[in-house]
Amino acid sequence: MVGGFPRKEGMERKDVMSKNVSIYKAQASAFEHHAAPDCKVLVVANPANTNALILKEFAPSIPEKNISCLTRLDHNRALGQISERLNVHVNDAKNVIIWGNHSSTQYPDVNHATVTTSSGPKSVRELVANDNWLNTEFITTVQQRGAAIIQARKLSSALSAASSACDHIHDWVLGTPKGTWVSMGVYSDGSYGIQPGLVYSFPVTCEKGEWSIVQGLKIDEISRAKMDATAKELIEEKSLAYSCLN
Amino acid sequence: MISNHLLFKLASGEVFGPDQPIALKLLGSERSFQALEGVAMELEDSLYPLLKEVSIGINPYEVFQDAEWALLIGAKPRGPGMERADLLDINGKIFAEQGKALNAVASRNVKVMVVGNPCNTNALICLKNAPDIPAKNFHALTRLDENRAKCQLALKAGVFYDQVSNVTIWGNHSTTQVPDFLNARINGSPVKEVIRDTKWLQEDFTEKVQKRGGVLIKKWGRSSAASTSVSIVDGIRSLVTPTPEGDWFSSGVYTNGNPYGIAEDIVFSMPCRSKGDGDYELAMDVIFDNHLLERITKTEAELLAEKRCVAHLIGEGVAFCDLPEDTMLPGEM
Repeated sequence: MVGGFPRKEGMERKDVMSKNVSIYKAQASAFEHHAAPDCKVLVVANPANTNALILKEFAPSIPEKNISCLTRLDHNRALGQISERLNVHVNDAKNVIIWGNHSSTQYPDVNHATVTTSSGPKSVRELVANDNWLNTEFITTVQQRGAAIIQARKLSSALSAASSACDHIHDWVLGTPKGTWVSMGVYSDGSYGIQPGLVYSFPVTCEKGEWSIVQGLKIDEISRAKMDATAKELIEEKSLAYSCLN
Repeated sequence: MISNHLLFKLASGEVFGPDQPIALKLLGSERSFQALEGVAMELEDSLYPLLKEVSIGINPYEVFQDAEWALLIGAKPRGPGMERADLLDINGKIFAEQGKALNAVASRNVKVMVVGNPCNTNALICLKNAPDIPAKNFHALTRLDENRAKCQLALKAGVFYDQVSNVTIWGNHSTTQVPDFLNARINGSPVKEVIRDTKWLQEDFTEKVQKRGGVLIKKWGRSSAASTSVSIVDGIRSLVTPTPEGDWFSSGVYTNGNPYGIAEDIVFSMPCRSKGDGDYELAMDVIFDNHLLERITKTEAELLAEKRCVAHLIGEGVAFCDLPEDTMLPGEM
């Protein structure tokens, strides 16, 4: 689902939300009545997480595990920045996580990311050896990459977004490589203390056409705060979305 | 816009296969440099495992260094009041310069695909300015027209397009192009036995293929960048994978030594076969009738006239332009 109503100059967040939830509620109805029972959905149009949530709420026959939103672009951008910083090939960096909302509150987390070296996998945090960069500039660069591309190209990053959508679908259908996870916006089941019933980006592995949230990762204090902040924004968006529909 | 689609296809491994790493070198201008940087950023963000290098420059003598494939997409579009002769001259200068640069620094067996229009004459100018590179290596893109012709035949016959084969586009990539229904086949049978509507074949078929670009522009205001990039990929793949038995593909290539009696020393779209080694041979099992020959003669005359018009760019003296009509295909920017 790539179509949505874009924000125009002078529009309030409430107005953008209002236009989009109406669109996704209507499309949910079409899904409910006509789509194949096992239809898989990828929502790209923003606000992606909340659009996906509305779709799910108003198309109850679609299994909740079949609805996702795209955070793979941010995931790929984060890996791109890490490999550039460490001067390694992009294929050698993996297991970054994008937590939460596909918005400016998204949290790119490198605490579990690794780089494949000749002497085995090494932690990105150790190799970068610059926590300040990782906690500040790295995060803002990933978050603002879209704006940087608009500035350079005078066009939004359609091509890399399309590429990441292909990656998302490919991995979902054909499975993630062993030892590797990716980021997907999926229906929360309460993992990592995130309120159930939100569409939240988690680290997932995929096998036999299904995703599962990677469990048991240690979450430090800084990460906890950021993960909660982006969850809080999603709860507010959900509330705003419902108020627009009533 | 064509490049945007094409670069992502190249980087993904779709063109040369999953085991062939690729380095992309992008030639831009001062004006387009920042936009190219943006494209490079997007390519980086896409994490293509086969993409080992992306570099950008404005000097062809640097960008073309060691190139094994040169895809020459850029050309100057027609400005208001510009005559066809002016268009040929302005673009010719670009392709003369690029030919010289390729001659100086590219791989000695570089394959060159010219997309920028007028592509046949641009390809001729390019190869004339690159005497150390085999003339056989230069191609003018007519694959989009071939793909469009296949599509129209499939639609008319009510078959899926993979049932259509042996489709040739003869001649110039302009309104004198000749989509050949005499030699084309559907499920192995001659098209004339499957599509009985001779009037459609002789009149509507050609028009539909030619006007497709114009129809697209009317529909969504943009030229056919995406399908053009697909056809470029098809064109490259036709040279690096063996041509299926009995089939052939169209490409605008140098006519020297051709078995069809077409004038030598021009770039003319003809049916080709490849062993998948980057090289090709012209197909011999082709038949002609008066209708086909008439149209081939007309497009040949146009290419000879274009050649005279750019004589100054190919080392053949003073240019003489006698090009009465504008034969650029509608919908081409």
